[in-house]
Amino acid sequence: MVEVQNVTKAFGDVIAVSDVSFTVGPGVTALLGPNGAGKSTLFRVLCGLTPPTDGAVRVLGEDARRHRDVRGRIGLVPQQDMLFDRLSALQFVELAAMTHGVSDAADAAVRMLGHVELDPDEPKMVGAYSKGMRQRVKLAAALVNDPDVLILDEPLTGLDPVQRNRMIDLFHNLGESGKCVLVSSHVLDEVARLGSKVLVIAQGRLAATGDYRALRNLMDDRPHRIKIGVDDARTFAAALIERGLVDGASVRGPSVVIDTGDIDTFGRAVAGVSKELDTRLREVVPLDDDLESVFRYLVERR
Amino acid sequence: MTRSVPPARAVALTHRLLMRQLVTRGRIGALLALGAIVLIVSAAVGASDEVDDRLEAGVQVMANVGFTLVVPVVALVFATAALGDTREDGTLVYLWLRPMDRAPVVIGAWLAAITVSLPIIVVPLTVAAALTRGGNTLVGATVLAAVVGVLAYSAVFLLLGLVLRNSIVWGIGYVILWEGVLASFFSFAAKLAIRGYTRSIITAQTEVDLDLGDLSLAAGVIVPLLVTGAALALSTARLGNLDVA
Repeated sequence: MVEVQNVTKAFGDVIAVSDVSFTVGPGVTALLGPNGAGKSTLFRVLCGLTPPTDGAVRVLGEDARRHRDVRGRIGLVPQQDMLFDRLSALQFVELAAMTHGVSDAADAAVRMLGHVELDPDEPKMVGAYSKGMRQRVKLAAALVNDPDVLILDEPLTGLDPVQRNRMIDLFHNLGESGKCVLVSSHVLDEVARLGSKVLVIAQGRLAATGDYRALRNLMDDRPHRIKIGVDDARTFAAALIERGLVDGASVRGPSVVIDTGDIDTFGRAVAGVSKELDTRLREVVPLDDDLESVFRYLVERR
Repeated sequence: MTRSVPPARAVALTHRLLMRQLVTRGRIGALLALGAIVLIVSAAVGASDEVDDRLEAGVQVMANVGFTLVVPVVALVFATAALGDTREDGTLVYLWLRPMDRAPVVIGAWLAAITVSLPIIVVPLTVAAALTRGGNTLVGATVLAAVVGVLAYSAVFLLLGLVLRNSIVWGIGYVILWEGVLASFFSFAAKLAIRGYTRSIITAQTEVDLDLGDLSLAAGVIVPLLVTGAALALSTARLGNLDVA
């Protein structure tokens, strides 16, 4: 349903997306990446909102930028927060329906607002809505034309946990009904619940694709860097190397910084080594456990 | 399921939406105040006993205040905002990523701009022309020139809003520097100044000479309408090629 072939998008000297290729079919696919990784730019290219600098994109076999009718089969939740602030939620979603050529626009708008748990009779203008409510208005507008391809850029931002769960269920239902649902997120746990198909993008490049569990294992198996605070750092570092528990170690003041590819074995052994040497273990702190480090590793290993 | 929006429907939807976005108390208030200036000056001229030729005095007021200030500035404010504001605030995506052709969206936006601009311009200018006591010929010339001016300025400024950021600043630059200064010195600049055509309509109707107003009535009407068509066509092409946020 969505084909991306060697797509590069540059803004002047800045390359936002670099030589990305993938194909996505029906079901929910999560696009995971840190902020600034190029997720929104990639979605904009998919929708035809901006042309690729190089490569080609096909949604339902067409270029949405040039082909009018295919635009009617796409639903987009853009990342930007602006709405027509002087419309009520019902007016906004009804407008989306009408501009999509939906015949029973008012009924469709009421139905979609119900799906996202907003009151269609609420007279307040969307400009006065909270972030989470605006997000749900955008979602209702994206669904109102019953699109075949749904592109949702960080759609869970601003929602409370209950709403998140309901929206994730809604995405799954849409995916199971044969729609192609592409959802971006920078939160790993969110992606875990979104779907088993994952595309990881970092620094504008596709860092990994495939099943979420395989990806999670890959992330867990990556080399780790850990700082250990001990009373006698030099002796402790030598003991770790001697026992083959680390790939490398360096003493930095009162601490040892180690690299290991087997975090589980190291974790089980470190307290025992401390006891054996009769030295006090003050702290064990992972230095690269943030998502950025995980993405960097995935990019570098390719 | 494949759907598309018929062109007339797309024009109507865009027009209705953008009308709503364009009409704000601040804009309407400020621009009505601008119209009040021409009314005050016209009333003063009309009430003065020292005016020998009321038609010439009326023409000068309408040309130098009405068509130099009110017509271009009001059209500028609404036409640049019509699509330019949606482009800058990111809401254009809700019109752009739709199964609608580009031309109806542009025409709907232009119609929204002129629907708001016309009454704010034509009503005070017509009343002002009457207040100068310059006669019915001046009133008729004012109405015709104002309508032609609004159509052309709105199309040109709509295009400007799609091409440039801070389009209102560029538009003011065009009105003040190009139409106000360069057009007085260079004939090629005068040909690209809408003001020259609105002035020509007034001159042709009232036979009172004005700077830049040396074209025939037909040229004064037809050229701005051709400019309108060209600007709308360029806006359509520009909308299709736009980088949408």
